[in-house]
Amino acid sequence: MNYQYIEQLLDRYWNCETTLEEEQILRSFFSQADVPNHLKQYAAFFAYEATQKEEKLGEDFDKRILAMTEEKQAVEAKTVKLSTRIAPFFKAAAVVAVVLTIGNIAERALQNNAVNSTTVNVTDTYTKKEDITAKIKIIDHTRSEAMAKTDSLKTQTPAINQDPLIIE
Amino acid sequence: MKEISFKNDVLPLKDKLFRLALRITLNREEAEDIVQDTLMKLWNQRDEWSAIQNMETYSMTICRNLSLDAIEKKERLNISLDETVHDRPDTSRTQDEELMKQQQLNTVMRIIGQLPEKQRTIMQLRDIEGKSYQEIADIMSINVSDVKVNLFRARQKVLGSVNKES
Repeated sequence: MNYQYIEQLLDRYWNCETTLEEEQILRSFFSQADVPNHLKQYAAFFAYEATQKEEKLGEDFDKRILAMTEEKQAVEAKTVKLSTRIAPFFKAAAVVAVVLTIGNIAERALQNNAVNSTTVNVTDTYTKKEDITAKIKIIDHTRSEAMAKTDSLKTQTPAINQDPLIIE
Repeated sequence: MKEISFKNDVLPLKDKLFRLALRITLNREEAEDIVQDTLMKLWNQRDEWSAIQNMETYSMTICRNLSLDAIEKKERLNISLDETVHDRPDTSRTQDEELMKQQQLNTVMRIIGQLPEKQRTIMQLRDIEGKSYQEIADIMSINVSDVKVNLFRARQKVLGSVNKES
């Protein structure tokens, strides 16, 4: 079998003139069982390179790394949770503040109303009193008129009294 | 633009990152820690993911920088880099074949381990991860000609050592 191509490739390999594909051909060639004697000295080198590609980390490594990243994520989630956990208190405080403010305003408004209404009542009563006084005046006036009438009647009474029966 | 998911787009890069970190630090546990740090760094930057053009290149740059920091720290403490390197045996072969294969692999590993970090990393990215010169340049923040020069030096050293060993 002619190994000229492989020998050529080898020469170019040591001189760094091979492409990645050609280097792969060399590795495949030297990984087979029957390498000719005059090339056997290089077989160990390419075999060594092949074994190095097998170097891998264990399965537990993945788990450990993922656990570490999840742990970090969990810690971050916690900080977010903390703020969200505090948020309802702020909301509650804000609601309480709003309620208190509204309550306070309402209370003041009611108090003002109450004062106003009493004044109105007072004024009302006052006017009523005036009305009453006015009415009383009117009544007084009519009464005095009536009294004056009765008086004039009284003066006439003797004439009335001069009833024939009484006279008798 | 497509939304990047950590589980589907970032986490699957872990093996590439691991191999890169392993190539630089030459220590499995340390490489695993570096990949973990790289992924957590990426996770923490998730708000900026949309601004990242190529997540793989970006993550490999972070991983390389963390690996370099780690070996620099070790060098300061004067700890040998390759003391804990070990390859897992392939049980599919017979014992003799297995032993010989293992010896050959160890030889190659030693040769590559002796390369300067820059050459080692470039070789890793090219030969094992199948990256183009431009991608390697982007990951390592160097220019393409620098990548080629360093790869050439690395391959020539490997060739010299392989020929010497045989």
